[in-house]
Amino acid sequence: METTISPPRPVPLQPVVLHVNGSDHPLLLEPRRTLLDALRDDLGLTGTKKVCDMGNCGACTVLVDGRAMYSCLLLAVDCAERRVTTIEGLGGPALDPIQEAFVAADAYQCGFCTPGQIMSLRALLDAHPDPSDAQIARAVTGNLCRCGAYRNILRAGRLAAEIEADRRAQQGGQDGNAPGR
Amino acid sequence: MGMLTLGHRRAGMPPAPRDVVGTSPPRPDALAKVTGAARYPGDLSRPGQLHLWAVLAGRPHARILGVDARPALAHPGVVAVLTAADVPRNRFGLIEDDQPVLAEGVVRWVGERVALVAAETREAAATGARLVEVTYEDLPVVADPATALAPGTPLVQPGRPDGNLLTEVRIRRGDAAGALAGAATVLEATFTTTWQEHAFLQPEAGVAWVEDDGRVVVETAGQWAHDDRREVASTLGLPDEQVVIRYAAIGGAFGGREDLTVQPLLALAAWTLRRPVALVWDRTESMLGHPKRHPMSIRARWGVDGDGRIRGVEADLTADAGAYASTSQEVVKAATLLLTGAYRVPNVALHGRAVLTNNVPTGAFRGFGAPQAQFAAESMVARLAEAIGDDPVAFRQRNLYREGDLEPTGRPLPAGVGALATLEACAAEARRRFGIGWDGLGRVPGASSAPRQAGEAVPSAGTDGIARKRPRRGVGIACGIKNLGYSFGFPERATATVELYGRGEVERATVRIGAADVGQGVHLALRQIAADGLRLPLAAVALVADDSAEAPDAGSASASRLTLVAGRAVHDAVAAARAKWPETDDERVEATVTYRPPATTPLDPITGEGTPNYCYGYAAQAVEVEVDPATGVVRVLGVVSAHDVGRAINPRAIEGQVEGGVAQALGYALLEDFRMADGFVLTRTWDDYLLPTALDVPDEIVPLVLETADPNGPFGARGMAELPLVPFLPAVAAAIHDAVGVWLTDQPFTPERVQFALDDSPGTSARVRTPSPATSSDDGS
Repeated sequence: METTISPPRPVPLQPVVLHVNGSDHPLLLEPRRTLLDALRDDLGLTGTKKVCDMGNCGACTVLVDGRAMYSCLLLAVDCAERRVTTIEGLGGPALDPIQEAFVAADAYQCGFCTPGQIMSLRALLDAHPDPSDAQIARAVTGNLCRCGAYRNILRAGRLAAEIEADRRAQQGGQDGNAPGR
Repeated sequence: MGMLTLGHRRAGMPPAPRDVVGTSPPRPDALAKVTGAARYPGDLSRPGQLHLWAVLAGRPHARILGVDARPALAHPGVVAVLTAADVPRNRFGLIEDDQPVLAEGVVRWVGERVALVAAETREAAATGARLVEVTYEDLPVVADPATALAPGTPLVQPGRPDGNLLTEVRIRRGDAAGALAGAATVLEATFTTTWQEHAFLQPEAGVAWVEDDGRVVVETAGQWAHDDRREVASTLGLPDEQVVIRYAAIGGAFGGREDLTVQPLLALAAWTLRRPVALVWDRTESMLGHPKRHPMSIRARWGVDGDGRIRGVEADLTADAGAYASTSQEVVKAATLLLTGAYRVPNVALHGRAVLTNNVPTGAFRGFGAPQAQFAAESMVARLAEAIGDDPVAFRQRNLYREGDLEPTGRPLPAGVGALATLEACAAEARRRFGIGWDGLGRVPGASSAPRQAGEAVPSAGTDGIARKRPRRGVGIACGIKNLGYSFGFPERATATVELYGRGEVERATVRIGAADVGQGVHLALRQIAADGLRLPLAAVALVADDSAEAPDAGSASASRLTLVAGRAVHDAVAAARAKWPETDDERVEATVTYRPPATTPLDPITGEGTPNYCYGYAAQAVEVEVDPATGVVRVLGVVSAHDVGRAINPRAIEGQVEGGVAQALGYALLEDFRMADGFVLTRTWDDYLLPTALDVPDEIVPLVLETADPNGPFGARGMAELPLVPFLPAVAAAIHDAVGVWLTDQPFTPERVQFALDDSPGTSARVRTPSPATSSDDGS
């Protein structure tokens, strides 16, 4: 009455070099491995969170070639030759302006969705340094926050844009690149 | 939007020099949270660990004929398969230990754990779990609580004294039947709610290992480390002290981590196999595996006198407890008590039952029975006001609890009754924000509830499709009451240890208290309380809270109680340590204080008489919605949320709790439709279970904070974190009624339900219809 389940056949591993946060990581991976699992389990970058594993929640958001993407919906082997940035790759000696804004605006409670929210906003500000409120809301609408800190997250997005604008003004427009990358 | 504070400092309490109470310093974990460095249970690993995977039943009710682990054990990497026979004492539970760690002979719900596979890799564990061959004989499924008590229904837990009746509560005062027979206006309606899933983002996870000294350490998340320890130790047959529960960063809880889930599995595997182990549930396992908010069916009859005073209430509540007790007994007691909301009712007959079924177990969820009970109570109040042509605020003002009023249980309310004050503050603010025609002392005569639409009529459904399609706005208001702290005689206490260090003067302090910070910010609040009492900067106060062996028992992060009870314990321990300081030449003193608030009592089983609670929180919310009759979609445009918090220890944290609570309440009211059929969960992922996003939450959420000092809380503080969930659902129902003229009685208010209600509504009209008892009954539907 029960169907017999056979174990899956072993799949040959595939070599891949992931470019993550400015470093190259040669890995041998099953082709089915998601970028999310590769980041967390193979590279130990646990700031990218695994929540729904099917593109519902946005907690696994990373930048791939500058665009915010759900790492749970990407296969790691498809990410060779692409630049991947995780929450660990933001900021340096100082916090990224978005991280700074999240602290100032109290834009989290449990903090579990925070890395994904920050990465979504990073992609927004890189593309639109002076976003409208609607663009900020749209940027994080794919990032669930069950604690419901949304309004402070939106405030943080606005504040981050202001911080970056100030920094650009201080730099006197010498550097046309978005900061923080 | 800043928080509006209407209250004042407690008289006689001089501000501390640095006034750390009442300020909002940055959260201490901010850096770790924004950099991704914070470690949550799913991020943990131990050298040499095995990976665990639990085999879930996947069927709601079946006899286990056999478990064949051989195919799993033959798979490369699989090390062990544990079953019920491996559990030293195979029972656990928060209130009653009726639940097995691993199923023994029978499975009673789809999420029941049947076997536990341990393997060298996570992939091997997953495959191993699929290869465990469990042979079942399916049994008849008890899926409907309405029929679960009928004679001949199969028993969910055979051997219980009352069959499928888990618990029953009766509260009687005066003569409800007589009062209703003599009342000028009587309304009756039935309300239903469905399950709500906590949907905390970090699924159940953790690691466990055995120390060289023989102690089992489980590092995970939860809401009460010391009770987790008690329960886990009991399953292993070990003394409490041989188990250590450590909390990593906690990725949301909301009541959903009160019950044990993966903790006893982790401990069992580590103890049995003597290897470090790790376990992470996936989202569907989490959706199946922890208790939900109770679905309830509530039938209510309310009657008022000719002078607009509530005379009597008869109400009957049935809650689906699912397969195991969890906290159902306590939830149903709380819900039954709150079937009359925050209203003085001289004659009550309240009846509540929790019924065992083969559905997913139900337990604690922020609000703990209060949201369901007050969906019914506040809807009845709004409908009564409408029926007698009264203003919803004026009717409430006339009938709300005052200081010294009796509860349905026949004893006076605890001091500090903020029902009226929160309502009036909310109504006044709502009038300013939404242009609503309430003047805080009743509706302005002749004013439409929503002036921007004055004069517009809603055409009858179906007669004018174009006009019907125009979105319409409406405003609703509702009150809420919720016990803060444990109830009905459940032992209530918190213990704190304060260590002071310095040469001459106190220079720094360490506070030890096992209180769980689930994101609400209680760790910061407790440090603020200590720093204020010690006149020290916040940075000089360290907190040890996340290890059951290093900090004393604070009780759970639940019932909005930690600021009140744990905060008071810290406050008193600080005072005790300070008192010792001048009398010692040491450079260190230590004091431990256990705070016990005024005692509560169980209710008399016949009359329901007793002292159920020592503290209540009061709230009122006004909600503006836009209803699109063409689609049935309801959008929340603005919320005023008024709360009496006693004293705002950390105003920004309170603001966060209000906004976050409103977001969860919005999901509960409009989106979150957890479904089961024949014992199977249909909403197994977030594809099917919709959660509020940034675009669903309104721009305008106005937290309104009143500070009527609580006699017991530290600096007068009381709890508040659950209250935003309490009035919201009936406030939205009232707003929808204001917009399109129909009363919704089944939560959630999905577009389909709004459309059906509009279709069913004969001659829907913007005019206030005056229902009579005969026409307003929902029993036929």
